[in-house]
Formats: sequence, C-alpha cells, structure tokens
Amino acid sequence: MTRPPDRDEAAGWLDKIRRLPVPNRFRIMNVCGGHERALTMAGLRTILPEGIELIPGPGCPVCICPEQDIHAAIELSLRPGVTLAAFGDLLRVPANTVRGQPRSLAEARAAGADVRPVASPQEAVAIARVETNRQVVFFAAGFETTTAPVAASLLQGVPDNLFLLLSARRTWPAVAMLLESDAGGIDALIAPGHVATVMGPEEWAFVPGRFGLPTAIAGFTPASLLAGIYSVLRQALEGRCFVDNTYAETVRPGGNPAARRCLEEILDIVDADWRGIGMIPRSGYQIRTDWSRLDARRTFRVELDHSRRRAGEMPPGCDCARVVLGRIAPDECALYGHGCTPHAPIGPCMVSDEGACRIWWAGGVRRRSRHPAGVEADA
Amino acid sequence: MCLGIPMRIISIDGERARCEAGGIERDVSLFMLRPDLPSVGDFVLVHVGCAIQTVQPAEARTAWELHDAMRGGR
Ligand code: SF4
Repeated sequence: MTRPPDRDEAAGWLDKIRRLPVPNRFRIMNVCGGHERALTMAGLRTILPEGIELIPGPGCPVCICPEQDIHAAIELSLRPGVTLAAFGDLLRVPANTVRGQPRSLAEARAAGADVRPVASPQEAVAIARVETNRQVVFFAAGFETTTAPVAASLLQGVPDNLFLLLSARRTWPAVAMLLESDAGGIDALIAPGHVATVMGPEEWAFVPGRFGLPTAIAGFTPASLLAGIYSVLRQALEGRCFVDNTYAETVRPGGNPAARRCLEEILDIVDADWRGIGMIPRSGYQIRTDWSRLDARRTFRVELDHSRRRAGEMPPGCDCARVVLGRIAPDECALYGHGCTPHAPIGPCMVSDEGACRIWWAGGVRRRSRHPAGVEADA
Repeated sequence: MCLGIPMRIISIDGERARCEAGGIERDVSLFMLRPDLPSVGDFVLVHVGCAIQTVQPAEARTAWELHDAMRGGR
C-alpha cells in the first residue's frame, strides 16, 4: 500500500479525529522528548479539538539524570589525566554546588577540565584511541534507545583506557510508577516509538492490561502521532483498550532482539534514582560485575557524597520534577521565561533538547497558555 | 541526542555503513542489525550513530483501519 504524502495523510487523520465525539476532557500523555518536540513543532495542540490535552511526561533522560551523577561526572572531569566525554546535552545540566565549584560540566571545562561533547559512543571510543595517555570516561545518560548502542559499542571491544559512567534508565517502570501514583489523571498513553523499536511493543501491554488505558505506539511524523491520537480516542469511545501501533515501519513484535541481547549481556537491571522523583524500582541499568573493568564508578571509586544522595534535588524554585511527571505544564513553573530560558537555564528541563520546558520555549510558548505555537508572546 | 533519524544506506563495509539523510552523511554501526544486515539503498533508523532497526513500509497505521475494513468502512 502506498501512503499519501505525510501532509495529506496527517490531514486525513485530523479529519477522522474531528468526526469523533471527543469527550470534554481527554488527557493524553506522551513519554518521549521526540514526540513532544514533533507535536509541538507541528502545532498539534492548536488544531486538535478542544478537550484533547497533550501532556508531556517523563520523556527526557537528561532531565531525570540524578544530581549525584552530574556531580560524579564533574568530579571525575577535574581529576588530572582524565578526559570526560559526554553526550552534548549533559554539559550544561546544572547541579547545586557550593559557591566557587563548577555547577556543570561546561563550567568544569571552563575551569580547565578536558570535557568533550560527543554525539555517539563511537566518538568516545575514538577519543580513547587517540588519547592513549589519558583515562577517558564516557558519561552516558539515556533511555533504552541510547543505552543499547552504548552496550553494543562496548561489546565490539574498546581500548583499555575507556570507562563508562552510566546513568541509564528504562522508560516503562517510570510510567507504571506514575500511573500507580495518580491513576485517573491520565486518560490515554502515546507510547515511545523508538523505545518500542528496540524493546518491543509488548512492554506497554501493562497500560491497557493493568490500568485500563488506551495506548498507541507512535512515530515522529504528524501523521503517525495523529493516527495514535485517533486510535486512543476510538479505544476510549468503543471501550476496548489495547496497544495499537502506528509506527509499524520500525516497531515489530519483540523489538530488535539483537539490541536487547546487547543490553542483557553487559547490564543488570537495578532500582534507580530519577532526579526530582526519587527511586523507582527496577528502572535503571548497571554494568554487570563481569564487565566491572569498564565501570568508572568502580574503577575510580567515585565516592557518592552522601549529602548528595537526597534524591530529588533541583535548583531552588525549579519545578522540573512536576513537569517531568506531567503534573504541571512547563509554563506553569514560576521561573519559566522569568529567569529560566534556554540562554540561562535554571533546571535540566530547559537545558536538554528533549526537555519539555525547552521544547515549549522553542515552540513559541511564552506565558501561561496551554497552546504552544505563538500564543501570547511576551518576549 | 535522543532523536532517531531514518537514513538511507549508500555504502556498506562489514558492520559499518555510510548513510545519508537530508544531504548529510554519517558513518553508522550496523552491529545491532546482525545477522540480517541491510543492503545498500535500504533505510535504517539511526540513533546515536547506531542503526537500531531497518525501516520497512507498513501496511496500516492503526488496527482500526483493519477493523473498519472488515466491517465495511467507517
Ligand atoms: S522553567 Fe526552568 S526552572 Fe521551571 S521547571 Fe522548567 S527548567 Fe525548571
């Protein structure tokens, strides 16, 4: 079957949505920064029938990277002989520090640390191959989609001077935690297309199964997102919930088994802290003991400053935790645009390309409005 | 960082491929697509320098299309 070009296809789905008897209030959560970006940039909130609320949830691995991990990375980067490679988004993530200490990896770099932004694990490996006299620590935060490539690159063999500071998280346990803690707040879920590409759509069966919520795995085009929105509305209207898949181009039953094997070979599943949220059972990955040579935490004996282990530390006034949980919209934070902007971010959600605050700002949302795309601009 | 991009394979060397999207070329690892490696001209979904899946044409967008077709359309 050949599809119409995306714009026509999207218009077709929008039309189908408009012909449904949409409830007065229907809250659809997405849990992927890529989804939030795509639907904000396409202005979907402004064209969907009133009543449909699109809520960004925990979709940004940088935003929830625990403060103690940022501290560990800063501390390692300042050690003599250490080069710290990190995914670019992590460089500007702020942490609370005592006065005079670098507050971020970018500030550590300004203070003389050898901090290098990278876009892929291969780049970190390449740095280690060149800098043979230095110990290269690769600081990787990410969900399953990022963690699988990191695991794959380690399995392919890395130089002895490369170590991994891993801050990897699994998506679905956070959604399960969220649904358990405020069932009723959300009417449907758009599940993350790339996570499902790697891990398989089956991971999301608990959402209709345990919580009775309509679910659709979507891709990143307006057409796929609108088809997902159409599907969850129909599921709700017909009283039949299941995991629909509007991204069959890459989401196949069982996901990508080779990618899942990469994860299983090197990593164990552990309880893990989410910044601003706290510990979520079995929501993180840790390097297996038989691969501990690679683990920067073990090799460098990164001492966790226990005062830092208070999960949930955010810069004063920053409401990122509630933004990440979908409890408030980004523009409901008092600092949004008033002290916190992409130029001078206060919280992680304004730093990362996948952070809801940054996406809404880039989408033109200025003051308290729930409609991105240039409403009420005050800047 | 977390964004996956569909790219077209323009050449393959073992488990690495040169891929293109929107005029930009990148070296991409095919390690996670073993053992059924894609071919030149195929599209792959690339995430942090690694192909995480081959992109294939899909039959239907939602299960409701099939459901409606079976019931004679809606
Ligand atoms: S606007 Fe800034 S301070 Fe407020 S929640 Fe977002 S990142 Fe945090």
